[in-house]
Amino acid sequence: MAEVTLSDVRKSYGAVDIIHGVDLEIRDGEFVVLVGPSGCGKSTLLRMIAGLETITGGDIKIGGRVVNDLDPKDRDIAMVFQNYALYPHMTVATNMGFSLEHRGTSKAEIAERVKWAADILGLAHLLDRYPRQLSGGQRQRVAMGRAIVRDPQVFLFDEPLSNLDAKLRVVMRGEIKSLHQKLKTTTVYVTHDQVEAMTMADKIVVLSGGKVEQIGAPLDLYDRPVNQFVAGFIGSPAMNFLPGTITSEGFSAPGIMLPLPEAVHEFRDRKAVYGIRPEHFVLDDNGVPAEIILVEPMGSETQVTMKLGETQVTGVFRERVSLSPGATIRVRPDLASIHLFAADGGQCLN
Amino acid sequence: MKAELSPRMKTSLYGLMCVLLIPFVFPTWWMVTSSVKPISDIFAFPPQLVPQNYDWTTYSKVFELQPFVQQYWNSAYIAAVVTIGTMIVSSMAGYAFARIRFPFANTIFMIVLLGLLIPSEVTIVPLFQMFLKAGMVNTHWPLILVPIFGAPSVFATFVMRQFFVTLPTELEEAARVDGLGRFKIFRKIALPLAKPALASVAIFTFLHSWNLFLEPIVFLSSAEKFTLPQALTQYTDAYGGPMWNIQLAAATLTALPVLIVFIIAQKQFVEGLAHTGLKG
Amino acid sequence: MVVAQDHAIPEGRSSSPFWTIARRDSLAGVLFIAPQLIGISIFVLIPLGLVFWYSLHEWNVLANTFTYTGAQNYRMLIEDTNLLEVLGATAIFSSGLVVFNLSLALLLAVLLNQKLAGITIFRTLFFSPVVVSLVAWTIVWGFLLQKNGGINGLLQVFGIEGPNWLREETTAMISVIVVQVFKNVGLNMILFLAALQGVPNELYEAARIDGAPRFKQFRRITLPLISPTILLTSIITIVGSLQVFAQIAVLTQGGPGLSTTVLVYYLYQQAFQFHFFGYGSTLSILLFVIVAVLTFAQWQMRKRIVFYES
Repeated sequence: MAEVTLSDVRKSYGAVDIIHGVDLEIRDGEFVVLVGPSGCGKSTLLRMIAGLETITGGDIKIGGRVVNDLDPKDRDIAMVFQNYALYPHMTVATNMGFSLEHRGTSKAEIAERVKWAADILGLAHLLDRYPRQLSGGQRQRVAMGRAIVRDPQVFLFDEPLSNLDAKLRVVMRGEIKSLHQKLKTTTVYVTHDQVEAMTMADKIVVLSGGKVEQIGAPLDLYDRPVNQFVAGFIGSPAMNFLPGTITSEGFSAPGIMLPLPEAVHEFRDRKAVYGIRPEHFVLDDNGVPAEIILVEPMGSETQVTMKLGETQVTGVFRERVSLSPGATIRVRPDLASIHLFAADGGQCLN
Repeated sequence: MKAELSPRMKTSLYGLMCVLLIPFVFPTWWMVTSSVKPISDIFAFPPQLVPQNYDWTTYSKVFELQPFVQQYWNSAYIAAVVTIGTMIVSSMAGYAFARIRFPFANTIFMIVLLGLLIPSEVTIVPLFQMFLKAGMVNTHWPLILVPIFGAPSVFATFVMRQFFVTLPTELEEAARVDGLGRFKIFRKIALPLAKPALASVAIFTFLHSWNLFLEPIVFLSSAEKFTLPQALTQYTDAYGGPMWNIQLAAATLTALPVLIVFIIAQKQFVEGLAHTGLKG
Repeated sequence: MVVAQDHAIPEGRSSSPFWTIARRDSLAGVLFIAPQLIGISIFVLIPLGLVFWYSLHEWNVLANTFTYTGAQNYRMLIEDTNLLEVLGATAIFSSGLVVFNLSLALLLAVLLNQKLAGITIFRTLFFSPVVVSLVAWTIVWGFLLQKNGGINGLLQVFGIEGPNWLREETTAMISVIVVQVFKNVGLNMILFLAALQGVPNELYEAARIDGAPRFKQFRRITLPLISPTILLTSIITIVGSLQVFAQIAVLTQGGPGLSTTVLVYYLYQQAFQFHFFGYGSTLSILLFVIVAVLTFAQWQMRKRIVFYES
């Protein structure tokens, strides 16, 4: 077990900077998710921690020791790859025990460790099979088994669930999480799926364009995004954004005036972006008018696409809305949950 | 093209293929059957598709007239050494060109590929002089060293590289995380997975060495050093005319073992060749 | 690798800052290619340099003299009237071989690509000459092609008087081409077959729905899609045809006259039978230039004739 520290870590290919000085502290036993759109550098960062990519600048420490120039094998980490990377010419048992073979572990101990891991993951009956004989979910488990047999200081996961179908993904998500709760090994997990990030992480790192946008607990990011990027990335359906101006009467968006909380009037006459999550609209006869465009009943809730002034927004309501497109409803933004972002740069204002 | 064929179409296709087979199959049949005909029947008219008289002494004469066992051994061991050597050299180089970043990799690859443009026939004169200076003329060294390290192995390197390029990088990264260095990744992961490509390299290389003709006649001068292709041409009478039935017996002994191995393992042979980087 | 182990001390920042991960791996790469690179240098590059150097010299083996004569050997090349005949024979041999080989290979591949029971047996038999020892194969054909040999014997059964195949100029050339094609056409056949099987069946189904007849399907779909393979096999075959030696040596010894003396055989005669090493080297340079030009030209042509590259 170990903490992982990144200080001012940089990566460039020639003149192109991929990672621009990332600082990150991962505590012992923490489950950290790196999330961001594709091309944000999250996988590169993970591979730099693994030692599969060299680093151009800064320091990476694992368990207090600088590992910048150590080979992956000397970093005491284990990794689960996107396509599992199981050795096709070896059985499940050999795959799982392979790393131990190269660390001078005795045959008996390897067998014992493999059995232990197989029991945890429910793979005991598959040990003699070859990867090609396994289903996607089973391969995924073997890949995890290979990581845990070694009892490494850090687990690294690189989009491990992206090749599974939606249902299996939810199951495996739970398994990885409970495995972590059992083993308490420091984990760094990369995904582009913010739902995975929200449900699994102790701490989320949102990356964009090779920079850290925000680091925090899942609900922190949800409730208090520091900028428009994080606000839009975390949460599903995504937060609605309406550009406009802050005035003394409220927020003036194209074709509509929206209410503002008292506290933000100091930013009066400033151009800004009004951010509100779909679930923070409340049906209220005294609210602002919204023209319904599309109604999507989900059972437990109803998702409504509607026009607020000239901007199309999404609202999610616990109530069943049974109106047809073209009708008008009145909605009120929950003032405690709205976000205002600077029009230039998108920093959060409130 | 995969549409069901009508029975008439099928019959005519079978007929066409059987006719086309004649020049492929008949020579081998003729070689084997003529090798046991007495010399008087060799040019008999009408041609005897099946021997009417048998003369098995042709086979004992093969061994009396030449040190044929020694020559057989020469060809076999040279081909074996060349095949194994080429597999080692070309798989290592092919792997490095496909997978490892090192300075001037592309330039070096182009230089190596130049070998494809320079068949050993082009350099046979200086090679002869070099081996003469090294005291290696009339030894088997030229027939071993040139194929393993020279132009013939370049093709093998190219095939291996094309194969390794298609191997998922994740496997090697997993192996690095699992604690393997480059050499072990090569030996434990890449090489075992490269069996199909290695097999076709082995087949090509073996056949190339087994068929080598110009090099032996340039480099070798004594009968006990000869390889089979060269030895086959030595069964001549006092006037230099071939002793047909004995020559054909020796040819049969040369050709048949490889042919039998091929027929047993034809699937691996043919599919191995078809599924390497050769497709372009 | 040894170095990589030595420096893999699990301690902090690089204790030896020069041997970074990338540099250690580079070293591994260099070690991996070293045998091939050193081998190429000794057995290909240095000899290529030497062959050029020799070509500038008059080399008398018997008198043991080696005199610089500049371009004299090259002048000889131009004035050598035999060489014209040799190049003519080489051109006929190579082009005849390539055309016959590729068309037969394609025909066989198309036949083998049909849904017929027992097709593997045919494939095996068509391929079998590839694994028959080259000289053995050539000897049998030489035997078959004798004046009173098997082929003329069979012809005579039908009342046809066959020629003395290997002793007449035209038939000698045809014979060496045919013998070589039947020996090796199996290789190209297999490559074509693999390419044909790589053409998605849906394309043919689409063409059938569009009403294209079989021949048109072949010309408009099959040929364009397998054109990379056609190019590759034609390069391999043409370069290979320039190296054909054993068949000529065994069947015709270049005769009758010079009619089947191809460049490689001429080179061998000049250098190793007549001991004109200087002139032999000049012929080697010529062979190299021809191989290089042909390969380069075909490679350039790929843009024009290859419709599709994967």
